Amino acid sequence: MTAPTEPYRAFGDFLACLEEADEYGAIEVVTGLLDAGVPAERVLLDLVAPAQSEVGERWARNEWSVAQEHAATHISERAVAAVAGYAAPRPTRGRIVVACMDGEWHALPPRLVAEVLRLRGWQVTFLGASVPAAHLVSYLHRHDAHAVALACALPMRLPQAHRMVEACRRSDVPVVVGGRGFGVDGRWARRLGVAWAPDAPGAAGLVADERALRRVPPADLSHLADDEYASLVKRRGELIDSAVADLRARVPSVGEYTPAQWDATTGDLGYIVDFLAAAVYVDDGELFTDFVTWLVAILTSRGVPAGSVAATLGHYRRVLRDFPRAGRFLALGAAATVASGGVRH
Amino acid sequence: MEHTAYIREVPDGDKGSGAQLVSAADVRGFDPGDGRISTPSAGRAAARSAGAPAGLPPLAPDRVGPDPARPDPDRVDPAWSEVVEHFREGLVVCDADGVVRHVSPVAERLLPEVSPGRPLAASGLAVLTGAAAEPDGFGHHGRRLRIRRVPLSGSRSCLYVEDVTDSVSRADALLAERARSAFLAVVGEKLGNPLHPDRAAAAVVRLTVPTLAEVAVLVLAPRSGRARWWRATRADDESPTVDSGVLPAAALPPAIVEGLSGVEPHAVDWLVDQAVEAGWLPGLSAREVTARVVPLPGRDAPAGVLLVARRTRWYDDADVELVRAFAARAGAALTTAVLYRNQAEVADTLQASLVPVEPAGVAGVQWGTAYRPSQASLRIGGDFYGAHRLADGGAVFFLGDVSGKGVEAAVFTGQLRQCLQALYRVEPRPGSLLKLLNDALLETTQAHGQGRFATMVLGVVRPHRDGGLSLTLAGGGHLPPLVLRHGGEVETVPLSGMLIGVVPDPRIGEVTVRLAVGETCLLYSDGVTEARGGRRGDEQFGQDRLVHAVTGCHRMPAAALAERVEQVTCDWLAHGDHDDIAVLALRATGPGGRPRRHLHSVPAVPEDPAGEATS
Repeated sequence: MTAPTEPYRAFGDFLACLEEADEYGAIEVVTGLLDAGVPAERVLLDLVAPAQSEVGERWARNEWSVAQEHAATHISERAVAAVAGYAAPRPTRGRIVVACMDGEWHALPPRLVAEVLRLRGWQVTFLGASVPAAHLVSYLHRHDAHAVALACALPMRLPQAHRMVEACRRSDVPVVVGGRGFGVDGRWARRLGVAWAPDAPGAAGLVADERALRRVPPADLSHLADDEYASLVKRRGELIDSAVADLRARVPSVGEYTPAQWDATTGDLGYIVDFLAAAVYVDDGELFTDFVTWLVAILTSRGVPAGSVAATLGHYRRVLRDFPRAGRFLALGAAATVASGGVRH
Repeated sequence: MEHTAYIREVPDGDKGSGAQLVSAADVRGFDPGDGRISTPSAGRAAARSAGAPAGLPPLAPDRVGPDPARPDPDRVDPAWSEVVEHFREGLVVCDADGVVRHVSPVAERLLPEVSPGRPLAASGLAVLTGAAAEPDGFGHHGRRLRIRRVPLSGSRSCLYVEDVTDSVSRADALLAERARSAFLAVVGEKLGNPLHPDRAAAAVVRLTVPTLAEVAVLVLAPRSGRARWWRATRADDESPTVDSGVLPAAALPPAIVEGLSGVEPHAVDWLVDQAVEAGWLPGLSAREVTARVVPLPGRDAPAGVLLVARRTRWYDDADVELVRAFAARAGAALTTAVLYRNQAEVADTLQASLVPVEPAGVAGVQWGTAYRPSQASLRIGGDFYGAHRLADGGAVFFLGDVSGKGVEAAVFTGQLRQCLQALYRVEPRPGSLLKLLNDALLETTQAHGQGRFATMVLGVVRPHRDGGLSLTLAGGGHLPPLVLRHGGEVETVPLSGMLIGVVPDPRIGEVTVRLAVGETCLLYSDGVTEARGGRRGDEQFGQDRLVHAVTGCHRMPAAALAERVEQVTCDWLAHGDHDDIAVLALRATGPGGRPRRHLHSVPAVPEDPAGEATS
């Protein structure tokens, strides 16, 4: 078999391997490209990364189960490891620590960043998924890092991300962040006062410029003085309970839910509160609106009417009467459910 | 004198601040003898000009002229020139042509250039004629003067000259002191955190520039004949450029060597020469630079020395004090960092021996593991797992949990694993092996009075010719393993038994399980099932949720399955505290070590209507 020299030509083969959780097949595809002279960085960024996006899309469209998505991601990670092992660059530059934020399990994007940095001569330590802040800080105390790269895929975790960035700063290590969690243009990273890279090459450029890394504008979080964020976090359990009660009163059929269905439902009700709290934290209604639009799409593809989301947003809005900012975001979110085709019932 | 104090509080005349307006109104109609003096505005002076005598002196009518409408019968007219002489402010009066008509003795002393009978402009001081504005005062003959121009009636004008040298220098000193405390506060905050010695050293030099120096060089006390150095150089913007390197101790300039012995070198001029000669001060020449060297106090000898150099200003006593205060904090930070490193090296070495070892590769078996200790800053805990290859091609594997938490528990897992490592060579049958382990642990804990015990599952896996695996499992009071069958269903292995290390000859459960190719056996610790989370953070994750979470995951590689169990557990916890979490999965991959490829897409797994929105 002659391997194609353009990574995108191998896309179909690679995705088929992911679909079948075929580790060996996936590794054959990437090593085939490498043998044909395709640079390792291109294999990672032009094949593995887009394939992973497609995996996420298929899950979102409910074509793939969570289990299948996890398996495919694992295979992608094995393929990345194979590329890294094939290239095996010698580190000539300082140490970069790459990690996922605490609670963040989307480890493949930061893994790709880690390997691109490694290919560019950095000595990279990849700490993996969901790294507790205490673990990261004690690692930084033990190993002299030139910079830390932190990934966050869900804006819901921005408040924790901010605390983690601060913890790294206290250790006097510059931080660069990335991932969709900071907004497509990195706007929420700017709000938190931290350097942001749009992609792996961007991150590589940023860590190479230490002065740019240290020259970050201060965080712009004066709006937190209204205490809405802290109150939302404190009232999280109470809010979810009230939303469950509201759901029971509104839709009697939920009484027949299985325990697992209840877990999923309360989980979603909790995500709504968490995303709302994150939107309040960075004072950007778009964060919440984006989430609501996405949630409606996900639930619709799984047979849950979008109207139930709008009704729950209305409920939260009534309960959070004394929260002007949260109230405004909930109203924007409710408008978004209508825009994305949700019908109230 | 009270009135001079009052005058000083009055801002410059033409600014018309609220304070002045109030004070002018207050003093209206008051006798100057009460200790206050008014500062008449141009308007009022003009209004009163009708009743003012033309000659000079007297000045009195111009300042607080008696109201002709309300003559004061008890009034005693003071000798105004005599009063004016005792003002702290000097007084210069000019006529309408700008010719100086009167100079008070204070003004004469402060402004010797000004003499009566000559035009004010002839003094050559632009600031006097109002050509140059100096609201903050100006330096003159070594004093700091502030001038206030007040127009008088008949186009005449008056200059009040105040000597503010003392108050300005006091204010400067206060500001400088405040800046020093603010700097030291920032230093305290920034130096307290980097516990890595190299980071701390880089932070020290970075903080030095630009407040204390344009170039700062930190030389650490040499270790085995070599001295490491860090240097910060002032750049165009705020953040300095930092570089570092190593020097043989013999190549260090004498002043640095002296500093490293704890002495602060005093002959600072040759210090600059030495530093320039050593190439330490790029872009600076010996002539223009002033430098100091201070030792950084360490535990016994100095931790290092700091060389500061700059062009702008000589290091005066206050500057040197500040550098010393900074050096004291820097020395403490470096010492702490080194202490931490030494302790952490020991801790790391000990931890490394207690971290679970990844299972050894066995033909036909795919291993997957996950491990998350309860204490995030530690890598070890009371959960353990492992696998050892047997001579016959199989392997013995185990997963368990010891009583207690943290370091002590981790040390006990170490003892337990060492015991197992020795025992499996003589007894490969799981049930008997577990009993042997029980006896060994019982003996140890009784000898030490520890009262520790463990729960565990121990098994032996042997590959079959058809690619499947045969597992013989022995249970010591641990949670029963799960088996993910080919069709997607999840079975709980009926494995019971008693705790290990509590009683002699405990009851040990034994079960044999067959795994076909693609089937997986999952071992986990109670950190998974007893994870507390949910809406209120107090609900246990439980066996049912675990079974549900792995249902439909039978095609997952073992490592992905183990990570999934870890993830759903941590998601359930939602940042809450948790016990140690350990997962060991083993999957039958077939004889080639390669799972059979699926010929068609995985059939749709029944999914919850509500979905798992953020998976």
